[in-house]
Amino acid sequence: MRGAGNPIVVARRVTRDYWKGRARVRALRGADLTVEKGDFLAVTGPSGSGKSTLLHLLGGVDVATSGGVHFLGRDLARLTVEERAALRLREVGLVFQRFHLLPMLTAIENVELPLAAARVGRRERRARAAAVLERVGLADRLRHRPSELSGGQCQRVAIARALANDPALVLADEPTGELDRATSRRVLALFQELNADGTTLVVATHDLDLAAGAHRRIEVVDGTTRP
Amino acid sequence: MAVLARNSIRELRHRPLRTALTVAGVAISTAMLADMLMLGGGIQQSFGELLESRGYELRVAPKGTLPFDTEATIPGWTALQERIEGVGGVERVAPVLAMSVSVEVEADGPEGSRGARRTLAVGLDPENRGLYVLVRGDGPGAGEVLVDSRLGEAMGVGPDDRLRVATASGFDAWGRTASVRVSGTGDFVFATVRDMPVALPLDDLQALSGLDDQVSFAMIRVGDGYDAEAVRAGIAAVAGRVEVVTLAGISDRLDERLSYFRQVAVILGSVSLFVAALLIGTITAVSVSERLGIIAAVRAIGVGRRRIVADLTLESVVLCLVGGGIGIGLAVVVAGYLESILSGLPGLPAAVRFFVLRPGSLMTAYGLVILSGAVAGLVPSLRATRLEVTSLLHREEP
Repeated sequence: MRGAGNPIVVARRVTRDYWKGRARVRALRGADLTVEKGDFLAVTGPSGSGKSTLLHLLGGVDVATSGGVHFLGRDLARLTVEERAALRLREVGLVFQRFHLLPMLTAIENVELPLAAARVGRRERRARAAAVLERVGLADRLRHRPSELSGGQCQRVAIARALANDPALVLADEPTGELDRATSRRVLALFQELNADGTTLVVATHDLDLAAGAHRRIEVVDGTTRP
Repeated sequence: MAVLARNSIRELRHRPLRTALTVAGVAISTAMLADMLMLGGGIQQSFGELLESRGYELRVAPKGTLPFDTEATIPGWTALQERIEGVGGVERVAPVLAMSVSVEVEADGPEGSRGARRTLAVGLDPENRGLYVLVRGDGPGAGEVLVDSRLGEAMGVGPDDRLRVATASGFDAWGRTASVRVSGTGDFVFATVRDMPVALPLDDLQALSGLDDQVSFAMIRVGDGYDAEAVRAGIAAVAGRVEVVTLAGISDRLDERLSYFRQVAVILGSVSLFVAALLIGTITAVSVSERLGIIAAVRAIGVGRRRIVADLTLESVVLCLVGGGIGIGLAVVVAGYLESILSGLPGLPAAVRFFVLRPGSLMTAYGLVILSGAVAGLVPSLRATRLEVTSLLHREEP
């Protein structure tokens, strides 16, 4: 349940530097953030402020240059690449702005992907994938490929894929960035519904409606977090 | 099949032209590689089988030559044969005299078949049928000749017809001539495509040629339970200035002479394999670079690097499996065509095959192509999974 003392991920004084040619670019300059179980947190800020970088660090997709990120009590900096991949597979659901669905797979096969990687048996993963697609309202689109689905439907498939392994945290990076206003509202409603069911969500967004629909909001400006 | 691999396989079907061209390229490379592997060992194998099929394990020839190599002869044969027959393990000695002759149908032969022909004549012991397979009639007795079945057809002669045989290059030239009866027709196993030999009794050919007591070579049969190499050494010890070789020795010498073919085969085979690997590597690199965003997303989701590499490499392997399979079929067809061209090569028996269809060679070619394709596909796949995920997620479109 949501509340203090039940943190899923804690980031403290996190910095992240990138190299562009010979120039070092500091994307984050000491960001702090705690995500509690049951949170629905919106991370806002202008383009290039470091929202995506912060999400990648929270989910262990990337590693901080300095500072610490602890996920369910584990220091992500101490994990190997493969250990972080295994953690993400089971505990983190990722939703991307451009969906990144596998184009040759059907909706249900896309949702099965993380389940297969987690070595869930064929029959069980098919049942679980179907169930989670039904949960996001796509029970009638199981056998459709991404090219046969609308943008909103593709994003719902991507959300279903993120939920497939029943993760502790779902991270969505600009999930409505490619969607029209009406579809964006439906995605927000879906997030709210999932959160009400106990899913912890962190959403990086420019979309003010989406940000307003979250329970909590922080802003990233020039690589630092502001409540 | 793994979910990711399923996507890879469907990608191949989704791009039929690219897939078809790649498969065609792999098929051609595989066919060439398989043919070169078969060419490398085909001649030696088929020639060895041909030699063994006649039942004589040793050959005695003038020093430094092989049977049918030159017109050099071994003088004083009768005495030499006695010494050879005295060697333990020698079961039978079959001397052969080979020389060029001219043959023509005698005046009472069929109309239109009277032209003189230059051909090879072999003089042999009437009991020795090691050089031919009888087709019609009987082997040659005294005053008789056995004619190559193709020559018989070409000249329109068969058993009981009469031929004139001359030792010179024509009947108008200075030479000896004999009138002989055709005893039968046969297929000469060591004849080249252009040779259409005739066989006479050894005594008759020696008398006709004036090469009394001389032979070109002899075939030696080794008795059961004797080691051919030991018998060869025994003959060499008593025979003096002659060449005594086993069938394996003949094969080895032929192999030395044909090393050019083997070298060409090795070079062309290696080039084929390299081209196949290059093709698969290029196609995989293009295919992977088109999917960098997807690969980054799959990695971000938490799918292990090894699994992604394995599934991407599977795409290369499938291309090689399909292309290689077609290539093996193509190799058989191309081998048949090349065989028809190379079988006319002078100096080699027509029965020798350049391309012997050997499952081992075909499977080796297939395996090598799949292996090289897998390795070639592995490189771009490994590189893709080592790129930075975070930048790719934003750079690539799915």
